[in-house]
Amino acid sequence: MATESATPPSESDPVVTCTNVRRTFTRGGGDGIGGIGGRATAAETVTAVDDVSAALSAGELVGLAGPSGSGKTTLLHLLAGLDTPSAGTVTLAGTDTQSLSRRHLTRLRLDHVGIVFQHFHLLPALSARANVAVPLVELGWSKRRRRERAASLLERVGLSDRLTHRPGELSGGEQQRVAVARALATDPTLVVADEPTGELDTATGTQVLDLLREVATDRAVVLASHDQQALDRTDRQLRLRDGTRVDTA
Amino acid sequence: MVSSPADTGSDSTASRGRGRRLASVFRLGVRRLGGKLTGRSSTRLLLSVTGIAVAIMLMTAVSGVALGLASQNAVQSEAVDYWVVPEGGDVQTIAVSTGGPQLGEGHALTAELASDDRVRYATAVLLQVVPLEGPEGTEYVLFVGAVPPAEATPTIAGLPTDPLTAGDPYYNDGGYNGTWTGEVVLNSATAELLGVEAGEELAVPASDESLSVTTVADAEFDTGVGSVPVALVHLSELQAIRGATQTDAADQLLVSTTDAGVRDRLEGIAPNTVVVTRTGLAAESVSTSSLPLAMAAAAFVVALVVGVLFTATMMGLEVSADRETLGTLAAMGYGGRSLTVLVVAETLTLATIGGVVGVGLGGLATVGVNQLVAAFFGVGSIAVFRPALAGYGLAVAVVIGVCAVPYPIWLSRRGDPLAVIRR
Repeated sequence: MATESATPPSESDPVVTCTNVRRTFTRGGGDGIGGIGGRATAAETVTAVDDVSAALSAGELVGLAGPSGSGKTTLLHLLAGLDTPSAGTVTLAGTDTQSLSRRHLTRLRLDHVGIVFQHFHLLPALSARANVAVPLVELGWSKRRRRERAASLLERVGLSDRLTHRPGELSGGEQQRVAVARALATDPTLVVADEPTGELDTATGTQVLDLLREVATDRAVVLASHDQQALDRTDRQLRLRDGTRVDTA
Repeated sequence: MVSSPADTGSDSTASRGRGRRLASVFRLGVRRLGGKLTGRSSTRLLLSVTGIAVAIMLMTAVSGVALGLASQNAVQSEAVDYWVVPEGGDVQTIAVSTGGPQLGEGHALTAELASDDRVRYATAVLLQVVPLEGPEGTEYVLFVGAVPPAEATPTIAGLPTDPLTAGDPYYNDGGYNGTWTGEVVLNSATAELLGVEAGEELAVPASDESLSVTTVADAEFDTGVGSVPVALVHLSELQAIRGATQTDAADQLLVSTTDAGVRDRLEGIAPNTVVVTRTGLAAESVSTSSLPLAMAAAAFVVALVVGVLFTATMMGLEVSADRETLGTLAAMGYGGRSLTVLVVAETLTLATIGGVVGVGLGGLATVGVNQLVAAFFGVGSIAVFRPALAGYGLAVAVVIGVCAVPYPIWLSRRGDPLAVIRR
């Protein structure tokens, strides 16, 4: 898929929007250990994302493109509610994330966001089915319903014969598919994927991208990636460089 | 396409009963721990279990020795409900306590209690170590002097009383000039030592009288320092042998009764005595003895301190190593309380597993201690292992878990769990 040029993002009931968001980090500084002694160093303020606006709607697969350090992951975290902006607003499922306490923001993620990590981050001591059901435990679902839901999702991602396998017994592609199934467990409105094919070979990565494409039918899916092959599979791309969008005129 | 349940939204809302949710999270923590313990990266957790198990094992074994010492301060007898013992005596094993405080007027007290309709039987008991001469030589034997009841046939010190003439003929209302029966019941250890059988005579070097073996009973008598040779005779005859006729001395009163109201009568029956019940026997012993209580208390303190420090340290390391998982769960939407419950679940489960293993090892250690003592000192069982001790060990293990858990909780909540995800 070509990079976005003339087609604007859908503005009908966007799942998540960010308006003029900025995220800065302060690194270093201080007066040595515990403020006692040591050599004083100046604190450095880094602007990871600067004045970025975007809107993502259900039914679209959006790519975040840009070189390392461009702010892709930071923007992804802001959209997913894993972080809050230093300036600007992020509205997720109709709620301004900055207005929420940490506890409520966590609950918002539980209800509306599914996350696929580059390194899978499956719980190694649990089976594939138990891993997929992990978000449902926090929702308070009964064991029977959790198992049914998890089995259904694993069947959906083509792993119905791997229900009882632990992550250590699965290939990289299978682990990532389990991670995708886990991300879908709560039927989120937004799925974010940070370099989902980064640990996978080309063929396996293609399978995962196909899965994400399918998943995007009912929800917004955004993936951050260096992989042009992955970005070409998206409906549109947001390009970042040095924290700002460079794909809009 | 994944078809979500039609009522997912309402199910989510309805299902958020906090208790049910946290219980599920707790079970998730238990399950995770089980998976870790059986997985390849379980060295740290196995060390934690081992540390707790060793602490509990040692505490159980030492407490078993303390319990063994404490429970052997009185004559164990069949169906005895109460013991009247002199107060203030240092509670030690029977063999050692044969020089302790005594009661006087043993026969009078026996008769007074026996006349009570509520009492099945009662007898004063005197314990003395007496040299006894048989074909195999002279041996020191623990003599138990008692007044065999007429209408009951209990065992006293494990020896049957029915081979002895009922009552105490030689006593003769305090004259000590009645019929000398010379009857003695031996346990098999004594008979073997002296080389005698039923019907044979034994000489008492300390006396002009001789004794006749009426019965050799197959009974063991553990005193806390092992099984000893023991003999059962009439109270007055033992008093005569040991020169204790002037005060009609006795060490204890044994009372069997079906009426709890008898206890009130026993409380004041003799000055400077205490009444001990069967269930309170060890407690009374422990409460008046420094050694068993000190041993048990020291074992508890050491197990608790070592267990807490070890568990807190290892679980702290585990939490630190698990930051990525905690961050992943936080990213998925697990709240701080749920993450805390996970840590609590893993710590308490770990402590409980360590407790179960420790109690089992403690039982084996008890057997080992008894075998070592028998091999090196020639005495029998010195330590005991009872179901209550197993429960005690498990309870202490749980206490260890509870005391240790604040540290890993603090570590897990320090900083932002999402920081590791945002890196």
